[in-house]
Amino acid sequence: MNRKRFTKPESQNQTGKNRSKGVSQWNIAWRRFKKNKAALVGAFIIGFVVFLGTFDALIAPYPPNDTPGFDFQEARVPPSLKYLFGTDYIGHDVFSQVVYGARSALYVGFGAAAIAMSLAILVGLISGYYGGIVDNILMRITEIFLVIPFLLILLVFLKVITAVAPSGVGGLSIVTIMIGVFSWASNARIIRGEVLRVKESEFIEASKSLGASNRRIIFKHVFPNVLHLIIVLTTLMIATAILVEAAVSFLGFGDPNAITWGQQLQKANEAVKEAWWEGVFPGLFITLLVLGFNLLGNGLRDALDPRLRE
Amino acid sequence: MVRYIIRRLIYLIPLFFGILVIVFAATRIAGDPVQLMIGQNPRITAEAKQHLTEYYGLDKPLYYQFFLFIMQLFQGNLGNSYAIRGGIAVTTLIGDYALLTFQLQLLALFLSLLIAIPVGIISAKKRYSKLDVSVTTTSLLGTCIPVFYMGIIAIIIFAYFLGCFPAGGANSILPERYPFGSYELDRLWHMVLPTSVLTFAILAPVVLLVRSSMLEVLRQDYILAARASGLSERSVVYKHALKNALMPVVTYVGLYFGGMLAGAPITEKVFNWPGVGRLFVEATTKLDFPVIMGVTVFITIMTLIANLVTDVTYGYIDPRIRLE
Repeated sequence: MNRKRFTKPESQNQTGKNRSKGVSQWNIAWRRFKKNKAALVGAFIIGFVVFLGTFDALIAPYPPNDTPGFDFQEARVPPSLKYLFGTDYIGHDVFSQVVYGARSALYVGFGAAAIAMSLAILVGLISGYYGGIVDNILMRITEIFLVIPFLLILLVFLKVITAVAPSGVGGLSIVTIMIGVFSWASNARIIRGEVLRVKESEFIEASKSLGASNRRIIFKHVFPNVLHLIIVLTTLMIATAILVEAAVSFLGFGDPNAITWGQQLQKANEAVKEAWWEGVFPGLFITLLVLGFNLLGNGLRDALDPRLRE
Repeated sequence: MVRYIIRRLIYLIPLFFGILVIVFAATRIAGDPVQLMIGQNPRITAEAKQHLTEYYGLDKPLYYQFFLFIMQLFQGNLGNSYAIRGGIAVTTLIGDYALLTFQLQLLALFLSLLIAIPVGIISAKKRYSKLDVSVTTTSLLGTCIPVFYMGIIAIIIFAYFLGCFPAGGANSILPERYPFGSYELDRLWHMVLPTSVLTFAILAPVVLLVRSSMLEVLRQDYILAARASGLSERSVVYKHALKNALMPVVTYVGLYFGGMLAGAPITEKVFNWPGVGRLFVEATTKLDFPVIMGVTVFITIMTLIANLVTDVTYGYIDPRIRLE
């Protein structure tokens, strides 16, 4: 991590340098993180899924939409050595689909979290730092997004957008963007609260009296001090986004051309009686990946919390 | 008290208005609803299209349509469906389905609180014991499993392999199948699987919250003071700590209620439960905008009421907050 961000302003550079030879905040956090077994398990799970997503073409025994021997002998075959997780209703290899689904899950997770967190950081920083009428307006907007029935609005927007663009322009990207646009509100509120706390600190006061501009204070002093919170919230947001995409796909509003675990579950739901393996394995991977991000998020929260000093 | 509630209600008006704008925009962002409706039907004539547009009042300017929508809303009229049951009134439609949704969701919420609070307390009291570790691990897992996945697994195991509960629906189709010929018993029998799955899904985060909140409270000075004055452990935990530990839970449940209702489509799709959630999915698939707006408004109002009730309850539990 970038250690420079945490050094003091120019005038204190000397002491700052001396201190950084000791232990930085990131070093402390890393030390704590290494001791946390649950968080390491989480990181390992994520690493595993990233590995699957990166080398999907090498790992998957069959191409994503390949129907090995398309005759109905090969549809809904139970798990075997040939088809590790069995085959689905038209003879796709479920294992291959699960491997290819990893990339989609990560894409949606990271993409939606990036959008949601950018909005949340922007609103949280501005609202918390400037206060007054700006804060008032932004918080009222935030409340609207908090109270609105999130899933319902998401489904309507997705359905309407796909109805307008029937060619299916980048279906999975639209799902990702919509999830991001509708899930920033609660995080914006949390970040605002933390900004309000940091704003009262003496070093902000000092910086102000030295004549620093608002923008400089926000980016050099406030932002680095809420960064620990942002990292944790982002990790948990990724988990939420993956769950939401799965739910949306399951309800039949996702991108039908994309290979995602949610899509697999939707198709499996129509025939759980005949072929349990169609749904059980993709669902297992959703759970595993979400668990991974939640464990990592909780671990990071414990490791990065500046109030918990050794 | 009454004045506080009125003030809160006034405060909710701009919020509600903002949501209405978004909902309305969502249904009109794609342009002409009639065009969307007839998109699948190439044989429709221009005349019929014109007629449809006039029939639904879509030839008026947008702001006027929005104004009309709000005026009708305050008269308790949500318009008529485009596609379901031959243009039935949306309010009637929601009335038919809402009860089933509430039956399921409220029972699950009630059961999960009934289980989560004692489990969370015991877990906090015996921190790091085997019991505590298994409770927290299970709860953490519970927050990670998607509800519909849990539902599918439950159906596979209990409906197909064991065959002891029905896989979906709210009642058997044939009255002869009713256990002991009772409609109510049949409903209960159908509710077992969805309620259990939903209960577990709601339960998991609440257990974690009760536990962490209890741990936080037990660290406070007044608990030490209560212990020092020789009160029994029982009295310390249940009389002094519990009330304070439940405050975040009240907030959580109040805020969660809206999310729970909005999540209704998921449970209701898995278990084929004829509630507003399934109605909403059906309406959205058919681009039936009056029903979409109606259900969204209905769930928003329920959410706002839940938030109001939370605020008021909070004032009762926490004497530090004065409702004025």
